[in-house]
Amino acid sequence: MASSPAPEPGAGALVARLRRAAPALVVLLILGAASFAPANGETDLRLAGPDRSHVDAMRSAIADLPGGALVLVGLDADFGTYPEIRATVRAALSDLLAHGAQLGFVSFTPEGRAIAAAELDRLAREAGISAGAAPADLGFVAGSEAGLVRGVESIVPAGATGPIPDAIRTGGGGIGAFSLVLIVSGSDLSARSWVEQVRPRVPDLPMVAIAPSFLDPELEPYLRSGQLTALLSTLREGAAYVQVVGAGTTPSGAPPRPLPILLGMLIALGVIAEAAFRQLAGRSGGRGFQRTSP
Amino acid sequence: MRRTVVTAIALASGSLLLLDLMIVNPALGSVAGAITELLVLLTAAAAIGGAAALVAHHARDLRAGTGDPVGSALVLGGIAAVLIAGLRPGSAGSADPAVRWLVAALLAPIAASVFSLVFLFLLSAIRRGFALRPVETAVMVGAASVVIVLLLPIGGSIGDWLASGAGWVRSVPLAGVFRGLLIGIGIMIAVGATRTLLTLDRDGE
Repeated sequence: MASSPAPEPGAGALVARLRRAAPALVVLLILGAASFAPANGETDLRLAGPDRSHVDAMRSAIADLPGGALVLVGLDADFGTYPEIRATVRAALSDLLAHGAQLGFVSFTPEGRAIAAAELDRLAREAGISAGAAPADLGFVAGSEAGLVRGVESIVPAGATGPIPDAIRTGGGGIGAFSLVLIVSGSDLSARSWVEQVRPRVPDLPMVAIAPSFLDPELEPYLRSGQLTALLSTLREGAAYVQVVGAGTTPSGAPPRPLPILLGMLIALGVIAEAAFRQLAGRSGGRGFQRTSP
Repeated sequence: MRRTVVTAIALASGSLLLLDLMIVNPALGSVAGAITELLVLLTAAAAIGGAAALVAHHARDLRAGTGDPVGSALVLGGIAAVLIAGLRPGSAGSADPAVRWLVAALLAPIAASVFSLVFLFLLSAIRRGFALRPVETAVMVGAASVVIVLLLPIGGSIGDWLASGAGWVRSVPLAGVFRGLLIGIGIMIAVGATRTLLTLDRDGE
């Protein structure tokens, strides 16, 4: 009887590698399929939180602005956490533009500058703003918190032209020329830096912030003390705000879908439970702590 | 001696900035403004120095054939692409369309893709953690599981209950522990800064 040919070592290694990668690939496929599935079956799912107090505070801060008010958008998000707040930021920008605000974008971190540049491009493409009302790009200011302090005196780049830079110069040329600051926070420079560095120097300037969840414990006290006028810092608050503003009609402004998030959470809970039970089974079998394959 | 000079500079500039915050005085404001300008320049110089060191490191790796040659080539190529797009004659700098395209079409999606893998790496780390440090991992993962359950995006009265539970966790235990940590860190920084300013910490002399 002829023996079957022995598998090549390279093929065996490939099979072993595929077997190790299979669970991750299956997870990615499930999440991908859920992201593209029609939203009809998501009626029982809800991302927005029932508590609307933070949303109402943000909305009234924007609604109270006078017509044509200058609003500074301090965009210092980071690539890692920006996807969590992207829809909320875009809804807030839509809200501000709908109230006739004149926006100026500035960043004090390189990552924030990159995201601001992308958002300015998106606004130019999607928002259908006339050239005269287009947001002013105040660029990147070096120096982190020192740059922030410098911005109190002067925030307009020397070569900037247009109605918004002119209006800022008329108002003194610094952060104090604005009626409101929308702070988009990230890991490097958050709303805390604005409260610490800018608020003592421009005490009457209202500040509102959008931040990822991990910054909430740091920023919530500033909201309660009144140093921040409004704060949206959880996915639930962000989703509720997007829902109320009615943004998200364009693909890039669409809020996160609850189904893929729910599936991801259930997968995470399943993996945690499986790992815990495997560990317990190893202990109860008298074999001590077993090393589980990742 | 060198340490004393640095300490004196830090003390003088810090005091000036603090006084400028408390007293409205044009002369003091000008001095504080000059110090701030200097700080901005120093930070920019440090950033350029860091970038130059990164380029030198990867160029050396490429020349010597050590490290990861593909990674080094990509880093140098990426830096060159952004520099050429932003500094070529007629470019608008960081607002130039070419720079914006590089950021919006390449950098942002690549970074988002890398960060999206954190989910899988985290799950893998949990399984490894159970094998290596079962007790600590069990405590951490137990707390994480409770938070995940509270954040489940479910509607109806169960969803309301979960949302209010998540709010309580955020504003009571999490906020309490976090504020305690911040206060502790603040005290340590204040003590450390005071020791440095009063030159009580002489280990570096």
